[in-house]
Amino acid sequence: MLELRSITAGHGRGTPAVRDVSLTLEPGTSTGLLGPSGCGKSTLARVAALLHRPDRGTLVLDGTPVTRWRHRAPREQRTAVGVVFQQPRLAADPRLPLHDLIAEPLRACGRRPEVRTRVPELAGRVGLGADLLGRRPHEVSDGQLQRACLARALVLRPRWLVCDEMTAMLDASTAAALVGVVEEYRADTGAGLLAVGHDPVLLERWCDRTVHWSELAGRTP
Amino acid sequence: MAEPATPPEAAPVWRTRPGRTAGAAGTRTLRVRLSAALVLATVLAVLLVPALVPLDRQAVDLASKLLPPSWDHPFGTDEVGRDLLLRSVHGLRVSLLVGVVAALVATVAGTAVGAAAGALGGWTDRLLMRLVDTFSAVPHLLLGVLVVALFRPGVWPVVVSVALTHWLSTARIVRAEMLSLRSRPFVDAALSGGASRFRITLRHLVPGVLPQAGLAAVLMIPHAMWHESALSFLGLGLPAHEASLGTLVQNARGPLLAGAWWPTLFPGLLLIVPTLALAGLAAAWRDRLSPRTRSELML
Amino acid sequence: MTTGPRTPGPRTPGTQPPGTQAAARPVLRVHGLSVRFALRGGRYVEAVIDAGFELAAGECLVLVGESGCGKSVLASALLGLLPGNAQTAGTALLDDGLDLLAADERTLARTVRGRRIGLVPQSPAAHLTPVRTVRSQLEEAVRELTGAPRAGRRAAAEAAAARAAFPTGHLDRHPHELSGGLAQRAATALALVGDAPLLLADEPTTGLDRDLVHRTADELRAHTRDGRSLLMITHDLAAAARIADTVAVMYAGRIVELAPAARFFGAPGPRHPYARGLLAALPEREFTPLPGNPPALSALPPGCAFAARCPAAGPACAERPAFTGGLACHHPAVPEPARA
Repeated sequence: MLELRSITAGHGRGTPAVRDVSLTLEPGTSTGLLGPSGCGKSTLARVAALLHRPDRGTLVLDGTPVTRWRHRAPREQRTAVGVVFQQPRLAADPRLPLHDLIAEPLRACGRRPEVRTRVPELAGRVGLGADLLGRRPHEVSDGQLQRACLARALVLRPRWLVCDEMTAMLDASTAAALVGVVEEYRADTGAGLLAVGHDPVLLERWCDRTVHWSELAGRTP
Repeated sequence: MAEPATPPEAAPVWRTRPGRTAGAAGTRTLRVRLSAALVLATVLAVLLVPALVPLDRQAVDLASKLLPPSWDHPFGTDEVGRDLLLRSVHGLRVSLLVGVVAALVATVAGTAVGAAAGALGGWTDRLLMRLVDTFSAVPHLLLGVLVVALFRPGVWPVVVSVALTHWLSTARIVRAEMLSLRSRPFVDAALSGGASRFRITLRHLVPGVLPQAGLAAVLMIPHAMWHESALSFLGLGLPAHEASLGTLVQNARGPLLAGAWWPTLFPGLLLIVPTLALAGLAAAWRDRLSPRTRSELML
Repeated sequence: MTTGPRTPGPRTPGTQPPGTQAAARPVLRVHGLSVRFALRGGRYVEAVIDAGFELAAGECLVLVGESGCGKSVLASALLGLLPGNAQTAGTALLDDGLDLLAADERTLARTVRGRRIGLVPQSPAAHLTPVRTVRSQLEEAVRELTGAPRAGRRAAAEAAAARAAFPTGHLDRHPHELSGGLAQRAATALALVGDAPLLLADEPTTGLDRDLVHRTADELRAHTRDGRSLLMITHDLAAAARIADTVAVMYAGRIVELAPAARFFGAPGPRHPYARGLLAALPEREFTPLPGNPPALSALPPGCAFAARCPAAGPACAERPAFTGGLACHHPAVPEPARA
């Protein structure tokens, strides 16, 4: 279970982007979170991935309340949630070739020996050929880079996936391909999914259930 | 001619838009090449000339004092009859050495402080940046004069004085760049991949700022050379036997009043031309740094 | 039709505004347009190859394709905004015969950009000056483009804002105080100031949410009712389906299909297998991706660039198909429609 309980979060002063929002994700299910741009759904997604400390409220990850965030969070908790962002070009270190981009989490977690088997396997899954793996981000298209970013999110076999507008910049075919990869991974591992987006047609096709932001926000417990 | 079987697709006639970028690009290339040639010539000169020209030209020769430029002495001679070409090249060598070493020391120090402040944030950042502000509040030259005055004249006090006044801007640039990089989603992605803060700093942030720091270092060499010359001109820099270009220009004030222009002009040119060339190269490098972040197709 | 309601109003290609001759020349005629980038070592990357299309007054042509297929390069070529290492071939003629590809920078800057082609940018936030109000930017554009006296500028700026449906009450705001939709309208208003007969919109809906995509597309479409032509470049098929008269599909630098929108999105559908695959990938249709990746523009195969991913590929595909009758394919899925 990934439980967001009465989360209030924002950036510094002013009205918080997320105010008193609760959302519960069941293991193995997929939830689509639908909302207009700028409504704060990305902030909530970052809270769910332990990347943004909420001002109030609690996040309970598989029964354990999360008390520390970002680099202070225990590695085991952080890596339990894989994240894919909207803009692959900002989400990739411009100096790393795609192979290193995908392998980086394994290296960071001291699981270097798995690089040789895991990276080619995942590259094949997301549809990246060996010739593309040696290129740097500025030498590939947005779609190819997003494929690599999805592979990176899956390389540690997270129990949860958060996809924040994963397909907003992509053409229809690449979008369908990446959704297919996510679903295949979930079928293999039973991982839960939070897919954030603004396209109702896409989310309803993709997810078991779709909730609209306006249903979550502003409800007092 | 195209084969008759393939109708319209004849070989296209390629053109570059007239007047838009070809001319400007040509000028830019020319400027870069000229700058590179001048920098190369400078480096070769300071390495080779002292080895090739006989040393007795350094000797005092009162019979040939203040000779105007001639084939025998292309830069003329100074007020005690020493060949000014040789003295200028020696001076350039000293100035360049001081400039490069000071710029390196300043860049390493500035990068370290800026990276620490940018990566750690919080009170560390505040403390380090207040330190930078404090140093910045003191005028460069005054601080330089103070440092030099504390030591015996020599190369190292000058290096320390120039470095001590120049790491501040690098620290600011590196910190700002680190802060900008730190808020990118790729840092979030690395955190989510289990990377520690130390690993993110070393693997993603510091390599990201190194080009900026390197550029700052190259841009700083001319600046440091001018600073050294200014200190020497004030008589606080290097002792006479280690004459830098600044020392030479200072010594030339007397002869200039007597109508001898060459002891001022030639060392001055040797200071101006290589530093401008180096700055030109650095500017071209800076222009190259930015488009790499774009995607492939707009190249 | 599964991609949402269509806009009402005349949708036939080449609909003429009242008062113009029916036989008027197309607003833009592109023929054999190619763009390549010179790389170090004498190599070239061909980003656009032999593109050709015509755009009539009042027509909306949407150029679709995935990122990196060369569609934005094509737009930049039309506006003379390519970087210095780019080379072009072919012609792109405006209705009076001015060739956009051969014109010098001075001509483009003084008579074309803003006056004859209005650009609706991809990212309005980056297109607007952050430190000045929308009104001052509009008035500056009025001054530059029409030379109107000071007194007339205010009215002209407000008129442009009104045509772009930008609320007058927000004119004195700075760009960061605007929502995404309003910023897009402000940028559109800027493009409308010069009263250009051709609007070029490069990915105007990227990053907007679905409702805003629809609204932006409809508003752009509305500008074609008074005879303006619209060339929109997008990867968003739903937006294309909503407003296009004609669809051009680009793949690996080439236009592979050029078809009326009604046939393309309706029955019998696109003829090129790539276009069919793109439509099938939509979540409202089969939601199945095309296999594989597009080839890199620096390493295009000698034959059909799509053959490696094509279900219908055969031996003929080793040779490049010529673009005839609105199609470049050896094995079209639907036979050529009979001409009325």
